[in-house]
Amino acid sequence: MRKWAQEGLEDVRRVADGWRWGRRSQVPRSAEPFVPARQSTVFHTDWARTRAAQVAREVAQKGALEPLFRSQVRTSVEGLDVLAGLEGPVIFAANHASHLDTPLILLSLPTRWRRRTAVAAAADYFFDTWWRAVGSSIVFNTFPIERRGGTMATTPGEVLADGWSLVIFPEGTRSPDGFVGRFQFGAAYLATQHQVPVIPIAHRGTFAAMPRGQGWPSPGRRRLTVRFGEPLRPGSDESPREFAPRIRDAVAALLDEDRSTWWEARRRAADGATHDPAGPDTAQWRRVWEQTATVPAPEAGPRRAWPD
Amino acid sequence: MSRPGFVLEVDDRTPPLVVHEGLGFRLEDFPPGTRVIYPPESLPAIDDVDAAIREALLNPVDADPLPTKLFAGMRLTIAFDDISLPLPPMRAPDIRQRIIEAVLTMAADAGVDDVKIIAANALHRRMTPAELKQIVGERVFRSFHPQGDLYNHDAEDRDDLLHIGMTDKGEDVEINRRAAESDLLVYVNVNLVAMDGGHKSVPIGLASYKSLRQHHNPATMVASHSFMDHTKSHLHHSAWRMGRLLKDHLDIFQIETTLNNDVFGAPYDFLLKREWEWSVRDQASMLAVRRGLGAAPRRLRHKLFHDLRSPYGLTGINAGDTEAVHERTIAMVHRQQLTEVQGQTDVLVMGVPYLGPYNVNSSMNPILATCMGLGYYFNSYRGQPVVRRGGAVILYHPLDEGFNQLHHPSYVDFYEEILAESTDPAVIAEKYEQQFATDPWYVHLYRTSHAYHGVHPFYMWYWAAHAMDHVEEVIWVGADRRVAQRLGFRAASTLSDALEMASGAVGTSPTISYLHNPPHLIADVR
Repeated sequence: MRKWAQEGLEDVRRVADGWRWGRRSQVPRSAEPFVPARQSTVFHTDWARTRAAQVAREVAQKGALEPLFRSQVRTSVEGLDVLAGLEGPVIFAANHASHLDTPLILLSLPTRWRRRTAVAAAADYFFDTWWRAVGSSIVFNTFPIERRGGTMATTPGEVLADGWSLVIFPEGTRSPDGFVGRFQFGAAYLATQHQVPVIPIAHRGTFAAMPRGQGWPSPGRRRLTVRFGEPLRPGSDESPREFAPRIRDAVAALLDEDRSTWWEARRRAADGATHDPAGPDTAQWRRVWEQTATVPAPEAGPRRAWPD
Repeated sequence: MSRPGFVLEVDDRTPPLVVHEGLGFRLEDFPPGTRVIYPPESLPAIDDVDAAIREALLNPVDADPLPTKLFAGMRLTIAFDDISLPLPPMRAPDIRQRIIEAVLTMAADAGVDDVKIIAANALHRRMTPAELKQIVGERVFRSFHPQGDLYNHDAEDRDDLLHIGMTDKGEDVEINRRAAESDLLVYVNVNLVAMDGGHKSVPIGLASYKSLRQHHNPATMVASHSFMDHTKSHLHHSAWRMGRLLKDHLDIFQIETTLNNDVFGAPYDFLLKREWEWSVRDQASMLAVRRGLGAAPRRLRHKLFHDLRSPYGLTGINAGDTEAVHERTIAMVHRQQLTEVQGQTDVLVMGVPYLGPYNVNSSMNPILATCMGLGYYFNSYRGQPVVRRGGAVILYHPLDEGFNQLHHPSYVDFYEEILAESTDPAVIAEKYEQQFATDPWYVHLYRTSHAYHGVHPFYMWYWAAHAMDHVEEVIWVGADRRVAQRLGFRAASTLSDALEMASGAVGTSPTISYLHNPPHLIADVR
């Protein structure tokens, strides 16, 4: 009987380990081409934008998420003044390197904007189980978008039309190495279709703090920076195909600005010499190495008149 | 849409994989880089089976429609594959029942009175009335069995055997007299694997020992590369010669069926899935089944497994000329079971499950386990064996089920006396086969009880002859050491130990392939 119980425990341990209980399951690399297309399930998230859900979200974000987030990372936010003259809704388009990106952006927004912002999240990732769907909808006000095409309960256009601003990551997925990938046309399409401005956002440090495959931020309160750019408005006859590169260029310029200065970044942009956010064409380890470097702290306080 | 078979390369993301071992299974951590060969997923089943059967009988391949062959006053014999197919047995209604009922309906409409239904069991054990009923169904059983018109073929009944002639290679062709003298012989086949069907049905299923020994011998078996490819199997070449001779003497209407890979129903359906795709429910089912089996005494485990009935779906049915029908059958079997594999490997790993063709409702004794692993699974290839010549085979089975005295009496003597002296198939065949084949007691048990023929354990050993000739080392994981030793093999406690033991033949860093079977698969080795 004891042996039987021990074998049972051993089995449970092996299954918990092999099937990654509590973590997202993995597919062996050689089996990835054979993963079946997931049957899209229609999740209704309208409830997440009701008054009661907003109250619950406010409690979750300010009472739990923000203290937890700030206990793990340090942030520096720049460029929020661009929102001053805007009424909304807008589309916040940012580069995407980590699961920290969403809380970083939401918690950086002024309260008025944060409370009226929804987040487009991959249906196949955040809405694959009911508990993940409910959890992310309550905390982040997510609604599902289909990366591979499919049926949606609520379209991003409807959310926009209801007066909600959207956070969209045009890359569609987290960067494998921290550099910026190709921008898909979703954000540009929505902006042109609904004639809403796009606020480009560039952030750095989230990849270093919590890259793909990591479930919790690295120790040491890594520094994250986030920079909001001037709103981009699509031209009346501008197509999404033309508008999407403009959004990416704006994000690239903001990244450049975050690394150097506003003036230097503007000069390089004027010369068409902005650093390519896709990164250098070097070995993968060098790309990861560069992106995992600690973001330097901004200079604190006024420059001293009399150096030491 | 069912996905094709594929070859997994074990990496750090691969969970432990299921390996069958007798009345149970284990989770095994294979070394990174191990190739795991998975069969294609189950093909969609035909929805309207009765309509498909009718269509096949009315529009046969290279033959006249069945109704035109039926007439009043004729002698009609229907033969069917015995209990060795499919594995596990099919959930009722068995496909053979549905086909036989359709044939009999047409025969009744045509006014045919003289009908006999014969189980083509060759030298297999006679099926019990309950087993016959399970296959043909209650209606057919009640109509024919009490009158003695539904019965098992008797390969030792000299009065009911007819020597048809000799093939151009001098092979005796002798089959069931009733079948041979019928105006029409309808053969109802279940083609579970590529080895079945074609001319293996009538010339083997209804044959005598005199005819079977022409191809069931070590020389033929060693030269069959493999049994799953009839174009390259000497055994099948012989059967094909016999079948063509029979065709000149007898009107055979062959009906062949193919099944999908739905081998396990709930709650064992997790065994059909790729492990990394197991849901929480699948994982819980697996854990529950493992603990249940761990707590159950052997007798209960045996019952749990042998009571399983598979929810197979029909994927195809073809009727008419044997060879034309078989080509279509093989194409469908390949669609369901063929997985392309690039190149051979140093070590082939296979799990021997609880069931083989010859232990339905019986025990998987050590000789049958050897036949299952080295005979059937090793030969589940097309092109070339999965393992290279001089490589090693690692099998999983405890080899502890013992012998069923009712079904396998000659196996006991074969194990105790013959294998104690030699395990070389050629030596055994030369010195002892005749003695066992003609032993009056074994013949008596075969004819009147439910015993396999006296020569049957020899044939099991011959099935494994090609593998024994091909590989250098055979190691059983988790097996009784004394039993493995008697079989001429070695036993190991774990896969690591087995690989260590095999290192003399294949080195310390061999390439490893694991045949993830069941469900059934054929490795198409390029």
